[in-house]
Amino acid sequence: MQVFKIPESIKKGSKFTFCPGCDHGIIVRILAELIDELELKEKTICATSIGCSVFLYDFLNIDCIESPHGRAMAEATGVKRARPDKFVFTYQGDGDFASIGLAESMHGALRGEKITGICINNTTYGMTGGQMGPTTLLGQKTTTSPMGRFTGTYGYPIKVAEQIALCDGTAFSARVAVDTVAHINQAKKILKKAFEIQLKGLGYSFVEFLATCPTNWKMTPDEAHERVRNEMMNVYPLGVYKDITVEDK
Amino acid sequence: MEQNFIIAGFGGQGILFAGRVLANAFMLMGKNVTWYPCYGAEMRGGTVNCEIVISDDEVSSVHKENADCIIVLNHLSFDRFLPKVKSGGLILSNSTLVDVTKSRSDIQYISIPMTDIANKSGYNKLANMVALGILTEIIPGLNEEILKQALGKVLTDDRKHLIYPNLEVIKLGMNCIAPVH
Amino acid sequence: MDKVLVKGNYAIAQAALNAGLECYFGYPITPQTEIGEYLSDEMYKRGLGYVCAESELAAINMVLGAASTGAKAMTTSSSCAVSLMQEALSYACSDEVPIVLVNVMRAGPGLGYIYPAQGDYNQAVKGGGNGDYKLIVLAPSTVQECIDYTYKAFYLAHKYRNPTMLLADGLLGQMMEPAVFGEYPYPEIDNSSWALTGAKGRDGRAIFSVATAEDTQNQHIYNLFAKFKTIEENETEWEEFNTEDADILLVAFGSMTRNIKAAMTELRKQGLKVGILRPVTLSPFPSKRIHELAAKVDNVIVVEMNMGQMVNDVKLAVEGQAKVDLVHRPVGQWLSVEEITQAVKNVLEKSYASV
Repeated sequence: MQVFKIPESIKKGSKFTFCPGCDHGIIVRILAELIDELELKEKTICATSIGCSVFLYDFLNIDCIESPHGRAMAEATGVKRARPDKFVFTYQGDGDFASIGLAESMHGALRGEKITGICINNTTYGMTGGQMGPTTLLGQKTTTSPMGRFTGTYGYPIKVAEQIALCDGTAFSARVAVDTVAHINQAKKILKKAFEIQLKGLGYSFVEFLATCPTNWKMTPDEAHERVRNEMMNVYPLGVYKDITVEDK
Repeated sequence: MEQNFIIAGFGGQGILFAGRVLANAFMLMGKNVTWYPCYGAEMRGGTVNCEIVISDDEVSSVHKENADCIIVLNHLSFDRFLPKVKSGGLILSNSTLVDVTKSRSDIQYISIPMTDIANKSGYNKLANMVALGILTEIIPGLNEEILKQALGKVLTDDRKHLIYPNLEVIKLGMNCIAPVH
Repeated sequence: MDKVLVKGNYAIAQAALNAGLECYFGYPITPQTEIGEYLSDEMYKRGLGYVCAESELAAINMVLGAASTGAKAMTTSSSCAVSLMQEALSYACSDEVPIVLVNVMRAGPGLGYIYPAQGDYNQAVKGGGNGDYKLIVLAPSTVQECIDYTYKAFYLAHKYRNPTMLLADGLLGQMMEPAVFGEYPYPEIDNSSWALTGAKGRDGRAIFSVATAEDTQNQHIYNLFAKFKTIEENETEWEEFNTEDADILLVAFGSMTRNIKAAMTELRKQGLKVGILRPVTLSPFPSKRIHELAAKVDNVIVVEMNMGQMVNDVKLAVEGQAKVDLVHRPVGQWLSVEEITQAVKNVLEKSYASV
């Protein structure tokens, strides 16, 4: 009996190069499982982004285009408009999605592109070594907010899932976490819903993942997950912020 | 040998439209022709113009300092373009709206109340077609049949029925002066 | 086929449709906006992809996304907005994705002015973005050529998997001239070996520009430049007039070609043996041919609507064999035939005076 195996959509022999305790690995695995379960591999094209998410195409055995920083939604729009029968998703960090790429992200949602957006929110720019990003919490110390983020100079963090839910073209917007087994299972269920909404052609579907960055947070994996629970979830509550399939009923 | 024309007036007088009809007519007459409009910020403020260059050979520059024949449908354009008529050239003015002062003696003036003529015909907005009618008496080879075909090329399918009113007014223009060529 | 009197911008738009355009993404900017307006209707009627993008950044990246699936995709823009697209052009070159970009130039720098100019020559041919790369750049001089070279831009982009730019200017975009829409004359290119189509019956494939090792990055750039070499050998295109007996060679591109032809006729009437070389492909540049001709002439005079950009490439090609001069004006009220004629005579007087 085999209880655990590597999903078909994970490249054979590939090894994740994420830092120990980074949640990217769990999220990529969820993604791969869903691509397998929904039999999407043969019709999927993914727009990857710049940041720690950039090497996604090294791990997933699907077609991918690497997007310039912030432009994943534009790339995905191009792919979907050219090939409307394909399943298209973006995989972006919070900097890519909500800072440099906010215009593309918002307008894609407003156009109701039949695409799924995935945003990994770890409250920092991970790849470049832990600078302040759009989602950095108030008080959080980073290499560019060494005294902690305070509003007088740095302004406020963006609540991505809530903002995307406000766009009329959005069919589904939710925030999930992967800090516990229960949350992982819930996250998978919610991402599946987002995928199904795209498959039904109902509009833009979006899932924000709260994620750890133990290296730049200077924490152990356990401490990092504690922080997700105790600090991030207060500012970024988990939940489904918009689901037109429910509202329609 | 190149010849160039400028048509100028208010926005709404059908300046660019008349220019396109004339340019198409030249094409049907077998000429090489270019049509070049003022565009963008130059169009703000209400005046509009376009320039047509014809040649038996390839047209070189599509925009030139001066023109052989300038057609002005409002006074603002008369003031602006009078200095740009080539020596020996012609300025054709819509005297309903242009107060023609013959301050230059080296050019020819033809002044016709185009807007009045158009108004009397019932087609108030077609002073531009009166001007085209007059041009048949000025430009060798340009005639009613060619202008009719040219109208057919410029008007899209859903506006083809407008050929005949335009042509009616062109005829009024043809009858208002004696041939000058 | 009938001649039609058509505006350069509409000619480009219709030619793109004839070439099999599948996706258009754009953002308005004078003097090229008519292209997007025309295609908004035509693409919708044909059930093809069209997005009024939120910015030029988004537009060019949508093109990159669409073209990565093998689709024929295009965006059109003007000078300052083309500057916004440079990052994606650099990516597309490295990614080897066949995108088509039309730049209907206005005058710069900055927001500049909407009248015609040729100030984007350097940006177009030197690579306005980061890193070692080259675009294929075609410069039409008539409305007919706007059609013909739009066809060719799609063909070359897909044949060589390289971003290709049609470099026109406000004059060509806005003017009308009789032209004939022939059928798209080029064969369709098989893109099944690289296009993203979903990993059906094969492993997933990725289009990316980043290399994780020095060796692979080096090799990637060498490969790209080997391709550029092939493009140079196969696709360099230019026009020549009266070069057989010329003592003086005029060089101009795009719409200025029209004026130097008339100036040549005038100067020949006055007894000066003037010839013309007009590069059609600005990248690859016809350096070899200019080098050959430079050995036979005394003077090379470059005429352009900028402060002198192509003149530097001409000088590199001439390699000191002839005297190279520049006749130019940066903006809009482009050099008239009379001005060029006079300027050429002035240059020659100075040149002879110095002998």
